[in-house]
Formats: sequence, C-alpha cells, structure tokens
Amino acid sequence: MSTKGTRIPDWLTVPFAGITPAPSQEKGQDLFPTGNWRSIRPVYRDKLPPCNNACGTNEKIQGYLDLVKRGKYLDAYALIKEDMPFPSVTGRVCYHPCEQACNRGQYDEAISIRAVERFLGDLGQALTHDVVKAGKPNGKKVAVVGSGPAGHSAAYQLARLGYKVTILEKSPKAGGLNRGGIPDWVLPQDVLDREIERLVELGITIKTNCEVGKDVSWDELKKNYDACVLAVGLTEPNSVRAEGENKAGVLYGLPFLRDIGMGTSKVKLGPRVAVIGGGNTAIDCAREALRQGAVEVTMITVEANPKEMPAVPEDLHDMVEEGVDLMHGRAVTAVLGNGKVEALQLHPARFSGAINASPITVDKDAPAQRFAVDNVIIAVGQHASLAWLPAEFKNERGTIKIDRFGRLGDTKFFAAGDIVQLGSGQPLMVVNAVGDGKRVAFNLDKVLRGEALQPRTIPIDVIVDLNRMNMTYFPHFPRVQQTLLPPVSRRRTQDEVIQALTEEQAVEEASRCFSCGTCNACDNCYLVCPEPCIARPERSNGLYKILVDYCKGCRVCIEECPTGCLEGVPELDFDTGVVRMDTAFAISPGLHGRQAEELRKLGDRPAKNI
Amino acid sequence: MATIEVQRQILPILGSPNQGARFYNPELPSSEPFVPGHRTCAGCGPSIQYRMTSKAAGDNTILVGPTGCMYVANSSYLCTPYNVPWAHTQIGSAGSFTAGVAAAYEAMIRKGKWKGEFPNIICEAGDGSASDIGLASISGALYRNHDCLIICYDNEQYANTGIQASSRTPYGGMTTFSPPGPLVPEGKKLFPKDLARMMAAGHPHCYVATASVGYPIDLMNKVRKGLNHKGAAYLMVYTPCQKGFVYETPRSIDLGRLVVECGLYPMWEWNPEKRAYDYSFRPASMRPVSEYLKLQGRFGHLHAEHIASLQKFANEQWRMLGVQLPEALIQAADAKNLVNMASAAQAEAVAQTI
Repeated sequence: MSTKGTRIPDWLTVPFAGITPAPSQEKGQDLFPTGNWRSIRPVYRDKLPPCNNACGTNEKIQGYLDLVKRGKYLDAYALIKEDMPFPSVTGRVCYHPCEQACNRGQYDEAISIRAVERFLGDLGQALTHDVVKAGKPNGKKVAVVGSGPAGHSAAYQLARLGYKVTILEKSPKAGGLNRGGIPDWVLPQDVLDREIERLVELGITIKTNCEVGKDVSWDELKKNYDACVLAVGLTEPNSVRAEGENKAGVLYGLPFLRDIGMGTSKVKLGPRVAVIGGGNTAIDCAREALRQGAVEVTMITVEANPKEMPAVPEDLHDMVEEGVDLMHGRAVTAVLGNGKVEALQLHPARFSGAINASPITVDKDAPAQRFAVDNVIIAVGQHASLAWLPAEFKNERGTIKIDRFGRLGDTKFFAAGDIVQLGSGQPLMVVNAVGDGKRVAFNLDKVLRGEALQPRTIPIDVIVDLNRMNMTYFPHFPRVQQTLLPPVSRRRTQDEVIQALTEEQAVEEASRCFSCGTCNACDNCYLVCPEPCIARPERSNGLYKILVDYCKGCRVCIEECPTGCLEGVPELDFDTGVVRMDTAFAISPGLHGRQAEELRKLGDRPAKNI
Repeated sequence: MATIEVQRQILPILGSPNQGARFYNPELPSSEPFVPGHRTCAGCGPSIQYRMTSKAAGDNTILVGPTGCMYVANSSYLCTPYNVPWAHTQIGSAGSFTAGVAAAYEAMIRKGKWKGEFPNIICEAGDGSASDIGLASISGALYRNHDCLIICYDNEQYANTGIQASSRTPYGGMTTFSPPGPLVPEGKKLFPKDLARMMAAGHPHCYVATASVGYPIDLMNKVRKGLNHKGAAYLMVYTPCQKGFVYETPRSIDLGRLVVECGLYPMWEWNPEKRAYDYSFRPASMRPVSEYLKLQGRFGHLHAEHIASLQKFANEQWRMLGVQLPEALIQAADAKNLVNMASAAQAEAVAQTI
C-alpha cells in the first residue's frame, strides 16, 4: 500500500530495516496488525436456548446440562437451584415444556431434560448440607400463605434474599398440591419431606394447621408482616352439575388424591370406578383408583379423542398401558342409584367452543346410556375459596385481582400460582407456579426496597433455527430412555413408576445437548482460526478471546461454530478497539492501546507534510 | 570415539472425545509455534494447516519453508510469524535442505556436539514445490530415509504468483494457465498427479498419508505419526485457497470436509511396516461432486459432461478405498443423467436420494 497522502504520526516512523523483533506466543508478530483488513468482526453473543425460554421458571437448562456433561454435578445442582427450589420434585412431575421446545427434537429426539433434572435433584437430596444459603437478614418479615409450588418457590427466593419468612399452611402437613395433588407413585412423600426440610434449614418457619380467614385474619396479616404472598391455590373441586351428584360413592378428584396424600383417606373403592374428566388430575385419579383396589376403571371425557385431552401424552399412554379404558364424547347427566351410586346416565356431548374450557353442549335428544359403576371420581377442575379476601381484590373469574407484577393494588400483598393464573392462559402446572412464585418474590423485594418495578421483558433472540447452527458437528444419537416399572406390577403398588437415570446415563443424555446459541467451550473456533487469533487463556465457558489486532474477518470461526454463538458484526458498529487503515504501519509492541490514545490527540496536531 | 544414540521425541496420539462431535480435546497442546501477524489472505487454508501442524509438533521443531505462499506471504521484511527456527530454501531444494538439517542434527548428536533432543524437522512445501519443481529433491530425501516430515500443503495451484496451474490442479479447474474457452471448455484437461500414492509406491519404507484441514484432530494425529516414525514421512494435506478456488472465506473448513465426502480427496495412510494401505477412514456421508464444485468459482464454467467425468474420477477413488458405491453416485457419473439438471441445486437433489 502506498503511503502517499496518508498522514503518518511521528510515533509510527520507526526504522523498518535493522532490527526485526521476534514474535512471541503472547503478542504474536506485531509488525503486522492485520486486524485492519477486517470489515466484519466475530463476536461471542450468547442467545437464549429454547428450553430456557420455554421453562415456566426459566431454569438455565443448557447451563446445567453442560455442567453435567463435564461431570460438575454440584455446580449443575447449584445452577438449577437458582430458579427451582425442588429439582427432585419437578424432575419427577414436570410436564417438561422444555423438551417440547428442544431444538434436538427437530433433528432426532429431544433431550430427556426432566430425567437429568431428577438426577441432579436426587443428588441434592443426598447432600448433608444444601448448597443454597439464606441471605443476610434484612430484618423484614414476610408471610407466605400456602406451601404448594408457588408458595414454596416464593418463600425460598425470599429467604435467599434475606427475609424472615413464615409459611402459613392450612393442612396438617406442608407441601400443598405437591403433596395433595401428586400421587406417591409419581412423587414419593419422603422426597417432598426432604425438600421441605431444606426450607426449614433456610430459616423459614412453617405454621401448619393455620388457615387464613379462620386462624389468622386479613388484618392480622397486614399488621404482623411487612409483606405477604398469597399462594393459596385452587382448593375447591368443580362439580359436573349432574342430577344426584350428592349420592354416596361420588368422589371429587383433588380431595380424593389429597386425602390419600395426607394419609387421612377412608375411601374404599368398589370394583368398578368411573373417572369423569380428561385432564392430568383425572389421569392421576384413574391410575390411583387402580392402586386403591378398583378392577375396572373407565375414564369418561367430553373430548372426542385422546389427542384433544388437555393432558401430558406420556401420562395418558402410561395410564392406558395400566389398563384404564377410555370413553370419549360423553357427559354425565345424572347419577343413578338408591342412596348410593349404582350407575351413571350418559349423553353424547361436545364442547361448544374451540377450546375445552368452553361450555359443554349435551345432546339431550339422543338416547341416554346407562353405565353401571360402584364409584365415581369427578375431576373436572377446581375453583378458589376466597371468602376471607376483601371484595375489592376479587375479579370476575373468582380469583385474585392483581396487576402485571403480581401485586394487589397498592398494598404490600402479592399473589402467585394457580390462584392468579386460572384463566390467564398459563398452564396450571407445577413449574409455572414455581416461576410465578419466583417472579413475585423478586417484585416484592423491589417494592420493599422502594425500587421501581420493571415489566418482564420477553427475550427476542431465542435460537430456534437450526440453520444458525452448524449441524455437521452433531452426529445422530438416540435418546436415553428411562426405565419404567412393568404395567402389570404397577397396578397394586405405590412404587415409583419412572426410574432414575444412572450417572453414566445422565452424562450421556446431557452430552446430546446442542448448547443452542451458547458458548460451551468446544474449542472449534480456537482450532480452525487461520491466524490463529483466538486465544484460550483458560478453558471454560465462553472465555475465548479474539485478538482484534490480528483478526482478518474471514468468518471461518462463525461458520464452524456448532452452537451459533459466534456472530459477525460489521466493524463500523464498534467505536472501541478499532484498527483503521491509517494505522497499517504501526510497528511497535502494545500499539493499539497507544494508537487509540494517539488517535484521540490527533485532532490537536497539524498534519505532517510528506 | 563413542557414539551417542539419537533420542527422538515421541508425541502422544490425540483421542477424539465426544464421538468426534467437537474438537474439544483436553490433551490439545497449548504451545503456539505459529502466531498471528502474517499476511496470508483471510480464511487461508494453508495457514490453517500450518498452525495445526506446528501445534501438533510442539516447540522443539525446525520448520523449512521452500518458496510458496507460506514463505512469500509470511516472511516479508525479515520478520516471520514463526516462534520456532524457520528457514527458507529455494523451491526446488525443499527435500535436500530438509535432509541436510536432519542429517546435521543426527551427526551433531552422535558426536556429542548437540546436547538437546533431536528436533522435529518439518518441511512445508506447497504443491508447486512438492509435485513439480522440488519433486526430485523430495523424492531423494524420502529415498535416503532422513528423519524428517515433508508436508505438501496442497492448494492445487501456484497461488502466490497469481493462480497458475500446477500438476495438482484438478480437472476442470480454472487458473490463469488453464482458462476455459471455446476450444477447451473445461479449462484444465488433465487430471491431477496422484502425488501421495506416487510417494507411497516409490518409497515404501516411508510413512505416507493424506489429510485435510476439515478434520483437524485427524490431521494433527497424522503429523504426530509422521514425526514419531523413525525415518522419512510424507503428508499431503488438502488446503483450500480462497483466491484461487473463488469461494466465500467462511467455507474453508467446510470445503476441507466436502472434498473428502465427495470422494475427490481420498484419505488414507500407508503403513510402512505392513507395506499396505490403510483405508479405514470414513467420512460421515457420501455426496456427489457437484456439491463440492458448486461452492467454487473456478468450476463455474463446467458443463454436465465435465461434472460427470469428475464424478467418474471420484467413483474410481471410492472404489480404490473399497467403498460400496450408492446407485445415485453411479448414475451421476453419466452425463446424460446430469444434462437435464439446469442447476447445481438439482444435482444436489440427487444426493438426497442416497
């Protein structure tokens, strides 16, 4: 390049001949800072993996899978605990929206994220001391009403923030829906007990047999605590509004499971049981009924086929495998029998709207069908019981009225979980309640510290397009399957149906993760760089350094990045560390720091006459 | 006078963890004998190869650079990006110079004049030097079995002088010496010299292998095998040249993989002990040559019959490796089947039927 017409600063006029410094591994051959050839600069920019985005509580799924892959189980457990107080529970019960969103699902089979989560949760249960510590006490007291998933999560996060938390639980045992809504063969009680012990270890006080509206009033909550989180859940079962529904032998889904869970059940089921409803609770009831001694269990749903049922497909499959019959497109119009249930009167029915929360249209003209049963379990949803709540905080859905931060008006009261999510479009699932509890805890903290509340930002850069990743680096591998108890032996036992992964299996499964959009230190960019200007001072996540003095912008690293973490950014977007053409002849060590400084002063100096 | 036995370095062979999914390798050496600050083109294939090779060899290495890109672009103003001893030699004397370095070290160690370990002596010759001008001297060094590794970084042309055809330029490749025109529509009419097989056949006591920048761990292992071999070793490495091949710079590594997957650059090793070829390397998939050709401007002028003859050439290579050919590749070797394809996209559709 000719230097004619180029202004060369004094400090660049170093003799070319004579001494030529030797290159070094640290600095390279700095006579040729080839970075000024570049028009596009590679930049490590981590994107949000779809699993993290889909998770109800935005667990850092890619992060902990990567740690498991490298054998750092304790770090992985600590990472999962940032967002999830009880991975051992969700590792068993979660409906895993993460696996539905997994990019690997488009390629071969989704990662079995839930199984790995359970592996980590069980690891955490075995620890004598939990990795999570309570925050520095800030002297403020918070009450959390309800110890279900949302309450548990809110209490846990508040304790980590340094609050003195008291959980008020109306049942004799803490756990809420985790205990009362989930059968033992999905979630053994001792697993949950251990997680609740962990809460007590964090310094949280749990008052059982303490019901709001009965043992403690609204005003007392207001007076005795700095703030309060209402996570009371939906406690009252819906009825099917059929004639004779009050006959003996008619049971309701959630109380049925709750009594068994709390150990207070006195129910003796007859040989023939009908379950009304097509959701997850109905499925749990049907499977529990088999374990409680029923011989023939039939599930009666309004949905016309299994695909329309609002249930987790795996659970439905397992239920059918255990021998539950399905009867679709029917509604119960009357419960027949003399004082006790003897039969059901069924009519063809369908939902009047597109979604299955819409009103049911029953075809009364069609001939009624008589269906002989000994017991009926009705599991068609729940509603709230909020007699104690001041009327101004109730809404038309019969739940608590909140603003978008989960706050009740201008009060120090917040609400989380099913009690606010019913009808909001959020699935009423454990993980969603946990996420809600977590967000409300952080909002509460902000309010008590007098900070402004920020609306939740929806992440835009979720990497879902496999074309942004380099798929040549991912061979096809089948998913590691969790073993199940054989269906025959399941029917009479409370043993867990789904078995845990072994350590090797968990590592194998985690190794299948693409790490979508996130640097997982695979060394690809480091090894393919032609300069080589990608430095690896330490090998750990995302710690590669691009020496911008030398990078020519060939973009080989961007093309070869398997995860799509590296991006090309036009050089003109940067205002720091830029090597411009008039510095092409810079020939002394450490020149770019100096260049930048000199270039800043350049405006004050007169141009040199060449 | 008592003679001292020459102690050689034995470099460990790298494992390929994670089933070859990533290059992440905890055993990867951290030393960097080839540093940034050189004036090769952006995305330079030979430079990728140079870096991987020198990294595999380590710090106790002497590099010999006969005239070629890696000399011209890298050593102007008497300053080089090499952190280890490096010497330039004439393009025709690559082998004799390297042989001299090796012989000198052996003699000095034997006589007790050099106390250190025997260094890794690597000659990095371009294909111009290795297949045309320096062929005789390299053959001599291999024949005399000096303890050195001679690498031919094969960018399939004389690139630093402005893209002229060498005897490694493939059939149909456009260079300034083989421009396509009405009389010679394919550009280059001759098929490339099969240099590596020639070296294996002519010097069966040497370790000979072919490698590609698309498979870095494999390349580094072949370098280490060559250095560990007691005697001369020869390695031919496919290194794409962005200026000569006319492709987008990010595809350098991709081309290194595609050329192997298309069968145009068979990967093998010559085992000097058994005196036999080792054909066990298998790429992840097999593709028609059109997928490789369509990425490069130097093949832009080819007609269907030329692509078919390249496919026929690739099929012969696959057969030599003992690979069962899929029906689609056999059909793609017939120009009649290709002539209906107006575009490379349609040729690619053939691949999907494999």
